[in-house]
Amino acid sequence: MEISLAPEIIFHMGHFPITNSLLMTLIVSGIIIIASIVLRRNLTLVPKGFQNIVEYVVEAFLGLIDSVTQNKEQTKKFFPFVVTIFIFVILSNWIELVPGLGTVGINEVKDGHTILVPFIRSASADLNVTLAIALISVFTAQFMGIAAIGLARYSGKFFVNPFRKPYFIGTFVGILEIISEGAKIISFSFRLFGNIFAGEVLLIVMLNLVPYLVPVPFLLLELFVGFVQALVFAMLTLVFFKMAVTAHDH
Amino acid sequence: MELLNNLGINGSLLLAQLINFGILLFVLYKFAFGPVLKMLEDRTKKIEKGLKDAEASHKKLAEISEKESAVLVEARVQAQEIIKKAEDMAVTQAQSIVLTAREQTEKMLAVAQKQIEQEKEKILTEVKLEVAGLVVMATEKIIHEKLDSTKDKELISQIIK
Repeated sequence: MEISLAPEIIFHMGHFPITNSLLMTLIVSGIIIIASIVLRRNLTLVPKGFQNIVEYVVEAFLGLIDSVTQNKEQTKKFFPFVVTIFIFVILSNWIELVPGLGTVGINEVKDGHTILVPFIRSASADLNVTLAIALISVFTAQFMGIAAIGLARYSGKFFVNPFRKPYFIGTFVGILEIISEGAKIISFSFRLFGNIFAGEVLLIVMLNLVPYLVPVPFLLLELFVGFVQALVFAMLTLVFFKMAVTAHDH
Repeated sequence: MELLNNLGINGSLLLAQLINFGILLFVLYKFAFGPVLKMLEDRTKKIEKGLKDAEASHKKLAEISEKESAVLVEARVQAQEIIKKAEDMAVTQAQSIVLTAREQTEKMLAVAQKQIEQEKEKILTEVKLEVAGLVVMATEKIIHEKLDSTKDKELISQIIK
């Protein structure tokens, strides 16, 4: 049993490494895209089947986002980001529940002994993925802030003149704000990565210790954790968006 | 860089994931959220319109039934008026008919009486004439002698009277 913090490379395409988590990301994206195209084709005013489920989720999120923004316009603007993040993250998290985790793969010789390179690895158990979403989330928040209240006022949050009230305290708070934006990226990416990676390790260990029955409660736990982490990611993104577009008064 | 390497962060992979998520965002926005949100909005509008229409038709129905009852009341009043008029007319007509009938009978009675009177008179005169002739004949027979016809007549008429 070999557990690697980094995603395992299955093969190289030229110089580009194809890792198992990249493969999973592509599969998840493919599923989402196909589902959305199917949905688009069968969209009717009287909902049926799949459309019902989607509408239920969409309406739940609309209500949730509305309750945070208290503004229809902002809700419309934030909605695609928040829900895309939620859907992508929750599916990426749930890959670890697919049977074959940590068992199905190819054997490779490395440093003198053979190790198993599994095909299945949660996309969220790869820092590249979580970091990418975190970067998109935080940078989009900056752009939204600039678009909503203007570059001068938005940057006024970070750069405060030390010779005006409240003098150096204000400047210091501004610097803290800059640091906190960077910290957001780190906390976003490491929270999701840590949770899902730990869950994956837990599942693999359980599977190796007691193959039958015992892993089931852990699977359920991971189902829950995957949902909560996706919700946390989406909600934090939403809150940061809202904070960015709200004018900062000094 | 060592730390990033140990964590498995790889520039090209990160870029790939960024682009991947960007595409996903775009596709979902274009194919799923836009249409679904629009559909939800359309449906909300449609339901609102339906409710409004239903309310309007309810109002109209109430109005119509109100109008209907008003019309009914008016019709009843009119009908009663017509009946009353007809009754009045019938009464007056009956009276006039009775009146004319009485008049006519009276007239007819009068005419009849007159005729009777005339007849009586005529008969009387005829009788008188006949009687006179008869008396003339009788007296002629009795006296066998004919007086002057005019004188005779005078005499007879004096006698009869």
